[in-house]
Amino acid sequence: MPIEIPTLNVIALAPQIVVVVTALVVMALDISLTDKRVVGYVSLLGLAAAAVVTFALLGGPAQAIQQMAVSDGYALVLNLVFIVTAALAILVALGYLDERELQHGEYYALLLFSTAGMMLMAAATDLIVVFMGLEIMSVALYILAAFNHRQVGSGEAGMKYFILGAFASAFFLYGVALLYGATGSTNLHAIGEWFSPDRGNLGDPLALVGLGLLLIGFAFKVAAVPFQWWTPDVYHGAPTSVTAFMSVGAKAAGFAALVRILMVSFDQAFTLDWQLVLAVLAVLTMTVGNIAALAQKDVKRMLAYSSVAHAGYILVGVVPATMTGVKGVLFYLMAYAFMNIGAFAVIAVLEHRDAIGTALSDYAGLSTRKPFLALAMAVFMFSLTGIPPFVGFWGKLYVFRAAVEANMSWLAVVGVINSAISAFYYLSVVVQMYMRTPTDETAAAPALRLSGPVVVTLALALVATVVLGLWPTPLVNLTALGIFG
Amino acid sequence: MPNFDPSQIPLVSIVFWVMTVFTLGGALGVVTSRNLFHAALYLILSFFGVTGYYVLLSAGFLAMVQLMVYAGAIAILILFAIMFSRRPMAHESQANQQWWLSLLLALALFVVLVVVVGAVNWPVSDAAPAADTVTQLGVALLGSYLIPFEVVAVLLSVAMIGAIFLAREKTEAEE
Repeated sequence: MPIEIPTLNVIALAPQIVVVVTALVVMALDISLTDKRVVGYVSLLGLAAAAVVTFALLGGPAQAIQQMAVSDGYALVLNLVFIVTAALAILVALGYLDERELQHGEYYALLLFSTAGMMLMAAATDLIVVFMGLEIMSVALYILAAFNHRQVGSGEAGMKYFILGAFASAFFLYGVALLYGATGSTNLHAIGEWFSPDRGNLGDPLALVGLGLLLIGFAFKVAAVPFQWWTPDVYHGAPTSVTAFMSVGAKAAGFAALVRILMVSFDQAFTLDWQLVLAVLAVLTMTVGNIAALAQKDVKRMLAYSSVAHAGYILVGVVPATMTGVKGVLFYLMAYAFMNIGAFAVIAVLEHRDAIGTALSDYAGLSTRKPFLALAMAVFMFSLTGIPPFVGFWGKLYVFRAAVEANMSWLAVVGVINSAISAFYYLSVVVQMYMRTPTDETAAAPALRLSGPVVVTLALALVATVVLGLWPTPLVNLTALGIFG
Repeated sequence: MPNFDPSQIPLVSIVFWVMTVFTLGGALGVVTSRNLFHAALYLILSFFGVTGYYVLLSAGFLAMVQLMVYAGAIAILILFAIMFSRRPMAHESQANQQWWLSLLLALALFVVLVVVVGAVNWPVSDAAPAADTVTQLGVALLGSYLIPFEVVAVLLSVAMIGAIFLAREKTEAEE
């Protein structure tokens, strides 16, 4: 059999390749450098290069590589979400790891590899490639969660995340196998073609079960109810800089691949079935996440449950299966990256070495101790609640509007009620910071140190949350480019 | 399998059922065995059963890979890991108080799968088994599946970096 050398349109994966190469350079630098912070700054440069490449491709024609991956507007806009997430997370880590003597080059390499995996998930047009991206992202995250593994909480977080994540991957693979058995292909377009009305394959039970198992796998990754049990323990135990990264990145990547699969392969097949399933998931996820968050006395844990709730809001944008919904999801993910990582950056500052300092009472009177920090946290809390004029408000508006346009107003109503519930716990942080006096313990705690990179993170996240809230047009225009190619 | 001589069909069936007993019995042993070491041995049995399936499906290369990589390398690694850990022979139940809940869920999933697999009209190919699977596999991996093949390299690097990082002893600088 003659071997044909395939022609590869490498440009389609250029942003991913830039990130992977940066990760390899980082590994090489790690050997020769003693100051690992330089490694972090090199990682930021690599991400900047990836952003430049992404912008260069944005607006141009979609580039496909071997029917395996495509760099269309959708993938490129999501690339920007991942780059912003990774860059902010690296900035948080530069200060956070220093104080805990965890400054290792591997941290940045793994974070970059994970980012490349996320970008691959967004670009993949074949279930095999989706799975590869999912595993690259997840394996790196398991290790990052356990990065402080000499401390019990972090080791437990890594172990828990690994076991449940592997379980979720198995469900995903089983789903892929059944879909392949039913349709004879793992290519998203070929599967979509198989479901075209004239083929008479609509409602095929095997494919339906395959899709169901895929959904279970994704629900684990984005922390949707009833697959959210790992979230609080993992988010609380992992180093805060890692939690910031994965709460946004893993969620965005999960939704990236899920939305493309649903829109490309299943837009004709049992739309009603999966819409109903996802609508139920959305309602459960929002409600359970918010009600559980109400009961938390620890801010890091509370934000973990809040992250579950946000997965629910994003699902509201997925359910209508319209381009309005997709754009809403893209807007939401970008907004969430800024406000959530900003909030975790504040937590990273307040957290002492041994993982105390994350309790709600530790925030009492923060406005008198560190006014800038308190102001930033207050803005992030308002934005996460969805109060105008911050960017979180527009995110919610766009996903809820997509539901209303698709005649699912009830879903938007549930979302609004849930936002109102969430105001209780987000605002309780603000109340603690501005209206309570510091407790004796808090006053006796070591002085809070704001390192340079953390100040930059907070400033960037704060400016983005406020400016994009007052003037969301640039981000709206950007998400309008997020079309499937 | 129309290509088989009718007089051979019973033999194939016998082999199939023996392999099924190996696969399922081994898997059952893995989850019910109270001794972790025995569980690992049962796992080898289960892997071996799957090898038999591949042979029956005329996938000789996959059968060898399954035998060498899974029943060989991976199972041995698991055994080593068990022997190096602290209480290899502890006779502890693997179940906790919620075992009935997971049993219920597992049964529900099982019923769904059985009903679906039974209801589907499986397409049967009458093509002869591929003669040279190794060549075809190689051409596919370096041809239409080149991207996943290359991307696996990244995944393996990540796993390796992570394993080294987690297993590494504290360096002197950290002490």
